[in-house]
Formats: sequence, structure tokens, C-alpha cells
Amino acid sequence: MAVLRTIAAGLRSLFRRKTVIREMDQELGMFLDMAAQEKMQKGLSHDDALREVRLERGSLEIAREAVGSAGWESVLETFRQDIRFGFRTLRQHPGFAAVVVTTLALGIGANTAIFSLINALMLRTLPVRNPGTLVELFHQYPGEPAFNGFSLDSYKIIRDGNHVLSDLLVDSPDFFEVRGETLETQKVIGGYLSGNFFESLGLRPAIGRFIGAEADDLGHPSPVAVVSWSYWKSKYNLDPTILGKQIVVNDTPVTIIGVTEQGFAGLLSQEMSQDILLPLSMEPVVHHSSLGWGSMWLVGRLKPGISIDQARAEMAVLFDSAIQAPDVGPYVRQMKFKMELAANGISTPLRQMLRTPLLALMVIVGLVLLIACANMAGLLLARGASRRHEMAMRACLGAGRLRLVRQVLTESLMLSLFGTLLGVLIAYFGVRGILRVITSGRQVVGLPVHIDAFTHPDTHVLSFTCVIAVATALLFGAVPAVSLSSLLAPGLQQIARIGESKSWRRFSKSLVVVQVALSTVLLSATALFVGYVSNLRNLDLGFRRDNLLLVSLDSSHSGYDSQRWSGLSQQLLAQLESLPGVRSATLSETTPMSGTGASSMALVKGHPENRREVSISFVAPNYFRTYGTPLMAGRDFSSSDQGEHLVAIINQTMARDYFGASNPIGSYVTLDHITLREDDTPTYEIVGIVGDAKYNDLRQPTPRTIYLSAYQEGRIVSQVTLRTDIDPEAMISAVRQTVASVMKTVPIGRVQMMTDQIDASIVPERLVAILSTWFGALGALLTAVGLYSLLAYTVARMTNEIGVRMALGAKPSDMLWMVLTDALWMVCLGMLIGIPLTFASKRLATALIDGLPVQSPIPIVVGIAAMIVIALCASYLPARRASHVDPMVSLRYE
Amino acid sequence: MPEKAGDLIQGTLDMLILKTLALESMHGYGIAVRIEQMSKGVFRVNAGSLFVALQRLQRSGLIRSEWKASENNRRAKYYVLTEQGRKRFNSETREWERQVAAIARILEA
Repeated sequence: MAVLRTIAAGLRSLFRRKTVIREMDQELGMFLDMAAQEKMQKGLSHDDALREVRLERGSLEIAREAVGSAGWESVLETFRQDIRFGFRTLRQHPGFAAVVVTTLALGIGANTAIFSLINALMLRTLPVRNPGTLVELFHQYPGEPAFNGFSLDSYKIIRDGNHVLSDLLVDSPDFFEVRGETLETQKVIGGYLSGNFFESLGLRPAIGRFIGAEADDLGHPSPVAVVSWSYWKSKYNLDPTILGKQIVVNDTPVTIIGVTEQGFAGLLSQEMSQDILLPLSMEPVVHHSSLGWGSMWLVGRLKPGISIDQARAEMAVLFDSAIQAPDVGPYVRQMKFKMELAANGISTPLRQMLRTPLLALMVIVGLVLLIACANMAGLLLARGASRRHEMAMRACLGAGRLRLVRQVLTESLMLSLFGTLLGVLIAYFGVRGILRVITSGRQVVGLPVHIDAFTHPDTHVLSFTCVIAVATALLFGAVPAVSLSSLLAPGLQQIARIGESKSWRRFSKSLVVVQVALSTVLLSATALFVGYVSNLRNLDLGFRRDNLLLVSLDSSHSGYDSQRWSGLSQQLLAQLESLPGVRSATLSETTPMSGTGASSMALVKGHPENRREVSISFVAPNYFRTYGTPLMAGRDFSSSDQGEHLVAIINQTMARDYFGASNPIGSYVTLDHITLREDDTPTYEIVGIVGDAKYNDLRQPTPRTIYLSAYQEGRIVSQVTLRTDIDPEAMISAVRQTVASVMKTVPIGRVQMMTDQIDASIVPERLVAILSTWFGALGALLTAVGLYSLLAYTVARMTNEIGVRMALGAKPSDMLWMVLTDALWMVCLGMLIGIPLTFASKRLATALIDGLPVQSPIPIVVGIAAMIVIALCASYLPARRASHVDPMVSLRYE
Repeated sequence: MPEKAGDLIQGTLDMLILKTLALESMHGYGIAVRIEQMSKGVFRVNAGSLFVALQRLQRSGLIRSEWKASENNRRAKYYVLTEQGRKRFNSETREWERQVAAIARILEA
């Protein structure tokens, strides 16, 4: 009760402030009147009576202040005053405010942007029951990334044999081509679910019903679909008559029976929603899949009390028994089982690919923010010194130390708040920019379809930003606030000297030293990352990357069989080669660095012990000439191979690993797992050897590669590569016309330069390099500003002294050097701290990114050199000003 | 101990106000005068302390206020003891007497 009354009374005096003050004035006025009246009855004059009352009862103004500041609401009231005052002060110094707010906005914006990506990719948990007990199952071939994607048989063995999982769910993602009555044909991410999926995750339909146990009856596929809430909203505008509607998924009609609740769209992680969910039994129908290895993505739920390690141990044994089944290929037999927690959603290549770069970037933006804070502290300190008269005046008028400190902190908080608001805006656009880098180039499964999900700020991001903002304000605001404590002895005389005090100078200098140290680390890191990426870009790939145009044909709805395709495609290549500007043209199933590829186990006839994995590439004649990969021995494929016995070309690494010094040409190779052929282990004659060329990852050493003739295999290969004499971009329209005239039913998919495709294959590295360049430059700029403003301030304060010195015979160059030496001292000291820090952070960087060339001293040297140049530039102007001081003017200065 | 005669030790003022209002409801000046009269001029009440104490007591629900016409027919804010305030005054008085008696016994011993 009493608490409520106190709050109510406080609120009243906050919101009915005028009334409360008027009542107080009335009451005090009455008090004064009555007291004076009494005195006057004793014979005093009116004025004397009033004076006596004041002497006896104390000043009524003070009484009013005392009552006003006694309640809890007075804290808020002073805060309001502080803010109003802060606004006024900031408006008086718009330049200062702009610099501070911009600096903070950049620092906070960078942090918010990187954090919101980390949040979207790594922190958000799935909106399902007990997400913490979900685990994702993987298998991993030695030396390869781990993949989800099991076979039907292994799924059954794992499901029925384990004692550690309460449920085993299937959520196999797939791309669907969806059309319907009111829908344009569109590519949509979807998936196939097991019957226990929705129940185990504790989900309820928004409308309709969910897929149930019928999903597991593979003999009787049920043509139904559940769509996501966001799909319902964007395509059907939340129309409930969606239930019972038919859509066509990859040519198979299905009926919509339900919609998921808002916020849930599959387990893939939240930025990539699965909009169309089909029963598992539909996978063989829609995808023509035999549910072999790679087709079933498994997610388990741990039984209560079972740790992931216990579960992993038991599941690994089960997995080993599953891959010993007689019909399992030798490639699969070498796989190891893996299991990870999946509370954030099951893994996507995007997530795996960006995890470490984002952590590295988070460290970098943290450093930038620290530099910004040191910078702000320096600025505020300098301003605090120039505000000392104002502060002294307020102290003399009775403002307590706490009150002054609070005022300064309020101002920092306000600056920080404005900086944060602007920063959030910067972060919003920053995230979009970063996403553009990530999504550049090649198509990666797992790319965010709904980019909004990234930029949509959730409570995580908002609270992160708020914490950052307040911490920042305290960090840079504390310095000038503490320096106010020297105002404790509020004699105007002493206060006037604060600006020149030794401790003040030393403190300002140490702030600059800190900035130099952190900037050195940043610049070295930038040099390291940029050097790494430029190494990757200039790497010898085994083919010439310039002037290569990649044109992807979409053969899926052409209606051509392989016979017809091969004829038409040879015709197309001939026509393309006759275009002016085209030197040669070829076809292949995949192109290098495209993110896709195939591999198999290969065996050389007569050497059964030598069984290894090789990468496979299906190519048309002229492939090597087009790519500029040298033919070392033997011959290229030719159109006359068609219908003859199977031939193959191998690269040098494969030749070395299988044949050593002997000549491979004329030997025979058998391959496992070429699924399109009837006989499972076809035999090829080696007819040529080509130079090593990178296959799919330019960071990895060149794999053993075998090239097979696309035409011999009867494959519909649809990736056209052209080598041009002119800028490939200029060829695009001519190429489009040619394709349209030869293959009327084949649309053109992606058209790209090879160089762009290579860039797309090193997105994480490029992302770190691009952003660390930005952030490194930002940090260096801030440091330069910090150094400049300190020196400029010092020179301004010392104008008098400089004038005297010059009057006494000092040369202008002496003054120039005096300032420059001062600056160089700070820079050297900063580097003394920064260089060991750089070495420490290099260790961190290697832990985050494999293959970083940290042994090289060049990045550190570059970082140091850049820092010195930047420092000299920043200090030159103040130094010049010092050397141009006119003694006569300066003596009149104060 | 107050350093200067006439100053009130913290907390005592609250009790004296409650005592004053226990007799009859009163405006601010009246309370100050009454306390001085009752103490025969020993306590002199400062306006600042008085009104802060009144606000505090009011917020803790021990007294309430109302605007009424004063003895010379002007609007004045009168303070009234609430039921809760009366209880508190009684209990505090007992506590005070207990303490004074105890201290007196110590001093006389």
C-alpha cells in the first residue's frame, strides 16, 4: 500500500508538475504570511517581519528545493533536466556532436551488423519443443566435410536399433518447382518429412491438419502437402480456402492439407525456410529417388538424461553395422559417424562456411569499437578541459560533484543513444551489403531465400545493441567524468589550470597510444587477410581463368533425349565457335569451382591393391583447349569416340599416384558408382594425360581427376564454356541468340565470367578481407583523428610558449620537429604494445581460418608502415601550424 | 546529540508532528508553532525540514492532507492523522517511553 501511494504521489508530481508546484508555492506562501503576520502583531514592519521569518525558518526557496528533491521522482526530474541541458550543450557544438555521433554510429553499426548475422546463423533456436535435445546426424568421408543424408536401410537400422533417442525424424530438404491454379511456376525450398515429425516437435497446425503416420508407408505414397505460414501469407494472403487446393510439385499434383504455425518453416535453420513439406513416401515419386545414400536427412531427439557423448558412442556402433551391409559401396564403407546438437537448426553449407569468418569479424569490429571509445574519450576530455570554466561556475553555484559527473555521463549517454540509432540504420544496410557479397556468384544450397530474416532485428540483437550502447557510453564517458573529480577543490584558480596539468596530458596521450596499438593490430590483420585472398586469386589453377564465359543451359524441360541432345549440342558448339571473338567452345557437366562435382573409387587393371578416390569430370571434346590446360601426352576426346569403347583422360596427379614413372596410356581403369550405367563398374582406356587443374576448391591441393567423354556416356551435359578473344561480357547477347536459334526449347540459366565464379568460391575469405579492409581503414582513420585533435589542441594551448621560444631564437623547423617528435613518441609506444598484441592475435586468426599465411612477416611490416604513414599525415598539419606561429601574434594571444 | 540547541534529531520530528496532529488537524505553520509551544521554545522547526517530513509522512500513509479555510478565512492545506498514523504514533510513543526509561535507569545507576 505504502509503496503504491509513494509511486502514485511521485507520478503525480512528475506528470502534474505545474499543479504540484503551485500547491507547494501556495502552502509555503501561507506559511510565510502567517509567520510574518504574527511578527507584525508584535509591532514589526512588514519587511522586517519577513526578514525575521527567513532567519528563523530558513529560506523558503531552499525549503521548496528540499521538498522537491526528497521524493524518488526527483531522480527522474534531474535526469530530465540533465537531458534538456545536454541537448542545449550539444546544439551549441554541432560539429563536435556530429563527429562523436558518426564515430559511434560506425562502431556500433559494424558491431550490430556482424552480430545480427552471428545471431541469425548461430544463436537463434528453432521454435519447437525442447530444441536443446535435438541432434543432427552426419557421416563423413575422411578429409571431406561432414554431410547429413543417409539411406533408407541405414535409417531403419539406426531408428530401430538405438536406445538413446526418443525420436528419429526425417527432414530431407529439396528444391521444388511449384505451380498451381493461381501460382506462377517458381523454385521453392521444401522437404520430405517422416510421420512423427510434427508430433515429436510439439507443433500445431495454424489451420488444417499435419502429415501423420501415413508418411512412412512407402508402398502407398499420399499426395498431400503442408505449407509454411509465410508461404500461406505471401502466396494465398492467409486465405483459409487454401485447404484442399491442389499444387503441382515437380510435375506431381498434391493437395494442401495444412499450414504450419507462424514462425516455423522446417528445421533447416531459420533464415532458410522450407515452404512446402511433403510426406517421406512422396520422395520416390517427386524426386525419382530410390532413397539411397544422401537422400534422407536425419534429426534425433535425445532421451531425457542421455548426454550427446553417450548417444554418439552408441550410434557410431549402429552406423558401423549399417555400412557393413552387403549392398553398400566401398566409398560409403569408409565413412565415419558424427553427431552434433541442432538447437539452432540443422546445418546448411552457408552456416558451416560462415561460422569462423563471422567470429573473426566480430573480434575485428570489437577492436574498432574500442578504438572509437578511446577516441571519444579523448575528444570529450579535450572538451571537458575547454568546459572547465562552465563546470567551475556550476560547482561554485552549489552543484555537487555527483551532480556534475551525472551531467557529463548523461551527455555521453545521449551521444551514445544518437550514435546507436544511426548505427542501427548503418547495420541494416551493412547486413544487406554483406549478404550481397555472400550471395555473389554461384548458387549454394542453403543460401538465404528470405533475406529479411537476417535483417529483421530480434530481441537478441536489440539487447546486444543496447548493452553495447550503454557500455560504450560508460567507457568513453567515464574518463571525462572522472577527470571532473579534480574539480573537488572548487577554487576557480585551480580549475582553470586543469587543461594544462601534467596528468591530463599524460592521460590524453595514453588514449592515443591505445588507439595506435589497436590500429596496428587491425592494420596487420587487414594486410594478412588481403594478402591471403590475393594469393588465392593469383593461385595457379592449372587453367587460364581470364576470358572464360560460362553459360548454363537448362536442359530439364527440353524434351530432348541424349541422342538428340548430343547432336544439337555439337551443332551449337560449332556455331558458337564460328562467332567472331570466340576462340573455342566446349561443354561439360560441371565447371571448375562451381561447387558441384562427382567422385568415385578407381582401380587400375592389374593393380587391385591400388584403389583410390578420384574426382570425375564429364567433358566434351575441346575442353582442355578451351580452358588452357595443357595436354601432356596422348590425345583429346573426339566426336569419333562416340559408339567406340570407353576412353578416359587423367591428370598428372592421378598418373603419378597410380603409375609412378611408367606410362599410363593404354592402361585400363574401372570406376565404382557411375549410376547411369547398367554395368556398375565400367572400364575405360586411358588415352591422354593433361596438366593438373584445380577441381572444386582452390584452397585444396589438386585432386586426382579423371575426365570422361560426355558423349560416350550418353549424358546430357549442359554447361557451355567459351574462350573469347575479347571481353566475354560483350559476347553474351550473341551467345544467347545462337542458343535460341539452335535449341528452341532450352532456356539459358546463369551466365557468368569464370573470374566471378572463382570469387564466389572463396566468399568467406573475401568477406573477411573486404570487411577487415573497411574496418581497418575505419580504425586507422579514427586513430588519425584522435592523434590530430590531441596535437592540434596541444599546439593551440602552447601558442604562447611557442611564441616565446621563437622570440628567443628558436627556428620554425625546431617547432615542427618538437610536435612531430611528440607524435612519434606516442606512435612508437603504441606499437610497442601493438606488436605483441598482433602476434597474439595471429595465433587466434590461425585457429579460426586454416591455411592463413601467418608465418610471413609481411603483414606486420605493412601494418606498422601504414600506421607510421597515417600518424605522420595526422601530425603534419598541427606541426606546420606550430612552425608558423608568429611571435607577435602569440604574445597577444592570451 | 544536537550540536546546537533547537535542532531536532532525525526521526524525532516525525513523531512530534504525529503528536501535534493527534490533538487536532493543523496546517504547516500551525504545526511548527505548536511544536515550539509544546517544547517551550526548545525546538525551532525549519521550514525545509518540516515540509520534507510532511511529504514523507503523507507518502507513507500516516497523515493525509486537505485544503480548508484557515482561522482567518484563507485557503490552507491542513494535515490530518490517519488511522494508520494513530497506530504508529501509539506504538512509537510506547517504544520511546521504554527507551527513555531504560536510558534513565542507566544514567541513574
